[in-house]
Amino acid sequence: MQFSAPCHRSTVTNSQAAISARNLTLTLGSSDAPVEILRGIDLDIARGSTVALLGPSGSGKSSLMAVLSGLERASGGTLLVAGEDFATLDEDALAHARRGRIGIVLQAFHLLPTMTALENVATPMELAGERDAQARAKAELEAVGLGHRLDHYPQQLSGGEQQRVAIARAIAPRPDLIFADEPTGNLDAATGHEIVELLFHRRAETGATLLVITHDPELAEHCERVLQLGDGRIASDTAA
Amino acid sequence: MTWAIAWRIARRDLNARFRGLRLLLVCLFLGTGALAAIGSLTAAIEREIETNGRTYLGGDLQIELWQRDLTNEERAALAQLGDVSAGTRMQAMARFGEQAAPIELKAVDKAYPLYGDLTLEDGRTVGAPGSDEAWLSQGAADRLGVAPGDTIDIGTEKLSIGGIIADEPDRLGEGFQLGPTIIVAEDLPIRAGLIAPGSMYQSKTRVRFTQSRDTEAVGEELKQQFPDAGFDIDTADRAAPGTDRFVDRMSEFLTLVGLAALVIAGIGIGGGVTSYLDARRQGIATLKILGATSNDIARIYALQIVAATLAGSLAGIAAGIAIVPLLATALQGLLPVSSGVIIDPGAIVLALAYGMLVALVFAAPPLLRARNFPAMALMRARVAPLARDPRALALVGGGLAAIVTLALLTSDNPMLSGSFLAGAAAILGLLALLGLGIRRLAAALPRPRNPVARNALANLHRPGSSTGALVTALGFGLSAFVLLAAVQSAIDGNIAKRVPDRAPDYFVLDIPRDQVDEFETLVRNADPGASWRMVPALRGSVLAFGSEGAMTRTADLDEIPDGAWALRGERGLTYADRLPEGNELTEGTWWGPMYAGEPLVSVDEDFADAAGLKVGDMLTFGVLGVDRTARIANLRRIDWESMGFNYVFVLSPNALQDAPHNLAATVELSRGTPTGPLLQSLVAALPSTSVIEVGGVLEQARTILEQVGFATLAAASVAVLAGLAVLLGAIAAARAARTYDTVILRVLGADRRQIIAMQLIEYVALAATLAVVALGIGSLAAWLVITQLFEFDWLPDWGQVLAVLGLGVFVVLAFALGASMPLLRAKPAQALRDL
Repeated sequence: MQFSAPCHRSTVTNSQAAISARNLTLTLGSSDAPVEILRGIDLDIARGSTVALLGPSGSGKSSLMAVLSGLERASGGTLLVAGEDFATLDEDALAHARRGRIGIVLQAFHLLPTMTALENVATPMELAGERDAQARAKAELEAVGLGHRLDHYPQQLSGGEQQRVAIARAIAPRPDLIFADEPTGNLDAATGHEIVELLFHRRAETGATLLVITHDPELAEHCERVLQLGDGRIASDTAA
Repeated sequence: MTWAIAWRIARRDLNARFRGLRLLLVCLFLGTGALAAIGSLTAAIEREIETNGRTYLGGDLQIELWQRDLTNEERAALAQLGDVSAGTRMQAMARFGEQAAPIELKAVDKAYPLYGDLTLEDGRTVGAPGSDEAWLSQGAADRLGVAPGDTIDIGTEKLSIGGIIADEPDRLGEGFQLGPTIIVAEDLPIRAGLIAPGSMYQSKTRVRFTQSRDTEAVGEELKQQFPDAGFDIDTADRAAPGTDRFVDRMSEFLTLVGLAALVIAGIGIGGGVTSYLDARRQGIATLKILGATSNDIARIYALQIVAATLAGSLAGIAAGIAIVPLLATALQGLLPVSSGVIIDPGAIVLALAYGMLVALVFAAPPLLRARNFPAMALMRARVAPLARDPRALALVGGGLAAIVTLALLTSDNPMLSGSFLAGAAAILGLLALLGLGIRRLAAALPRPRNPVARNALANLHRPGSSTGALVTALGFGLSAFVLLAAVQSAIDGNIAKRVPDRAPDYFVLDIPRDQVDEFETLVRNADPGASWRMVPALRGSVLAFGSEGAMTRTADLDEIPDGAWALRGERGLTYADRLPEGNELTEGTWWGPMYAGEPLVSVDEDFADAAGLKVGDMLTFGVLGVDRTARIANLRRIDWESMGFNYVFVLSPNALQDAPHNLAATVELSRGTPTGPLLQSLVAALPSTSVIEVGGVLEQARTILEQVGFATLAAASVAVLAGLAVLLGAIAAARAARTYDTVILRVLGADRRQIIAMQLIEYVALAATLAVVALGIGSLAAWLVITQLFEFDWLPDWGQVLAVLGLGVFVVLAFALGASMPLLRAKPAQALRDL
């Protein structure tokens, strides 16, 4: 299985950017005890690129991903994602914005326990009102090697299989952007390696922009670009 | 581990505010509170009657007689006991100009009242009015349109209205009346020409003892001393037997409904304890790893549950006691209730006992499951449910048996209570099966394409869902609502629709025999198409009954046999040479016209059966102080709904026609004939008669039924509240799973509208199913009550029934959606951090 070749850091213009953020801030907690999570992030991510996000615990990686993927609203700054100004959107609008355009893979898989593998993968497309959701979900599950597990429930699947389903769910709608938060965090080394291969292979076939949070340097090396976060700011931004 | 150490550990783990056991607290609070309120209210009413029994009765003892006063000998016997007050009660007519109204005429002597104060609206405390004066109740004044100072006619006498009655101390003891009260001087009925031999009047003589006596014993002695007098004796401890019986029955019924509500609440208790122990799996596993045995675990968590049970039950009992003064205020004027807080130890202990037993029955199974399994299995319980413990069956069975035994032992009518409990158990069982069926059906249905609908359907049958408990609890509550609405509207329907078709327009009492022609002329003049039926009207009591030579004296009976109510006190008596209309001969033969043989009597077949009588047996009646014995010639089936004169005993004419008596008549006017002119002409020409408009009586009956219906609806509301508590508990128990699903769906792009739709689909599907089921079960139960118990026609108002059901469903949905709202507020990113 081949990974996309590492490339040099490039200067990305707005028109080429999948994500464009300026002075992005995020403050959580009460007004009496605010906690600054992100302290002015400036970031451009080119379409079709692969980016690894590293940093120690508490550096704001997951929060940055949440903001960029529309799961959290930024406290300040501007944020254009796939041409849409996320800073002006409310919760429902963000949900709509995610449909079909953003795929998310989480460390704990987070599949819906009352749905089969096929139904889990079909769900985001069905929410978007797409009629061929089931057929596309089936195709995606076959592409990730789970064509024989369509009717299995999450509790009937191993950890690796559940993460494959999660990847299929993220990719099946053919999103512009894929966010993956520690996708191998709950897996053993061998399985984690398989998952990484699968994720990058499917990403390459669809051409989506990929942002991965990871502690794993080996995974980071597969990306074109590595962002190092520290104390809510981008500490370094290098080509892999 | 000792109990003391177990309690120490239990206390550490038990949150001071019982977090996790709140559903248990709420369920027990509702159930025991309802039982404590019902028991305390009953005690408050009984205490009031006991404390003020003398005032309500008007004496320590009262003797009632029909159609005669006490003889001198009888009066002398009473005078030896203390102060005596005599009076008369009868139906009469009062007139003011063109207005005429039927009234309850209450003639009292100068000794009245022996207990309590008779007060007027102007503030005066008075006794008997002057010979040309009357005290009017507000109802009488309103009916006639009069005020103090006006002059009214009663019989042949004119009376000045001296005042309007504010408080009549013996009002409750007077019982049900067909007209508002007017109090007059003792001799007024005779002066006004209302009393003549055969007139239908009741003498009431009361005694205020000069020293403390056992009233029951005194009453028995008087009956022995005057065995044929036909005394109807009431004592101060049973001042209002009708009210007593009503209160006992209502209390019993409401207690059973409250118990049913507590059992429903038990479902919530079971769910709450299951969730509570489930959340403590890690803690239980840790204790076991550290060396705690299964018994230790059982002790620790049983102590926590007992503590919560006691807290919830005692709080409920306190609330139940506290609400009684409010209920007393609401019931004032309807029922006698002690003011202030009433603490009845019996009611409290009973409510607590029921609460503890219900908690045992429903908490035992999850507690035993948590006790029995090894630590590692507990940690996997989220995927593999814990297996059941067979000992739970024994505990549950024993607990249920104890509840049923307690209910039957504390019931005055164990058969009725047993039937109610059996019916409730059958309904609960049916609903439990239905819940299981809904889960299986939801699992078997084709999976919807829409993920929102798919998730909603999955919530009905996913492992750990509370669908079964919800169906049982809410189904029972909604069925109770349908039952009550259908019963109430059916009774009303019978009164409103059937009675006017069959009921006469008037009952006319005390028509003198020598004025029959005049009466008939007046009716014909008012309406040539009118029809009437006239019967001789006497009163007497059954002094003895049974086979010839071996008759039983009624006075010797310790207890009147069930169904032989006609042995109690004085009854209406009549004679006829033809079988009365609406009656059917079932055994024996009827004497023909001109019969002149041995005195014969025809008896209601139900009474004969209850008293063990057959054709050929003998009955002795006391009529106006004279014994009259007759042989039973036949048995009859009476159509009590014929709305005419129906008599348990009909004698051959030669047995009674020589006794002084008047006649009673029913009058039916042609449709559309105004009733006012006939009423006025009858009252003017026959001043000693009483004319009762049936419409007014029905209105009274309807009002009473509405009040009873309101009370039972309030009781049923407790059942619905308990169901809602179970609903809230089920939602709370499922919150973790639902939050998880909601967050993931939001991540995948579901908006709030879709999340709400998911909740709506699930609860609307459940509510719609329950509504249909509740309509079926409630209607069936109501049909049984109306047609089999009351033997009425099945005439429910479906509009009213559906409206009540709709309201219940609306409340359920509102609660369900309201409790689900916090799910919408969960922000995806924050929620993901917490997952």
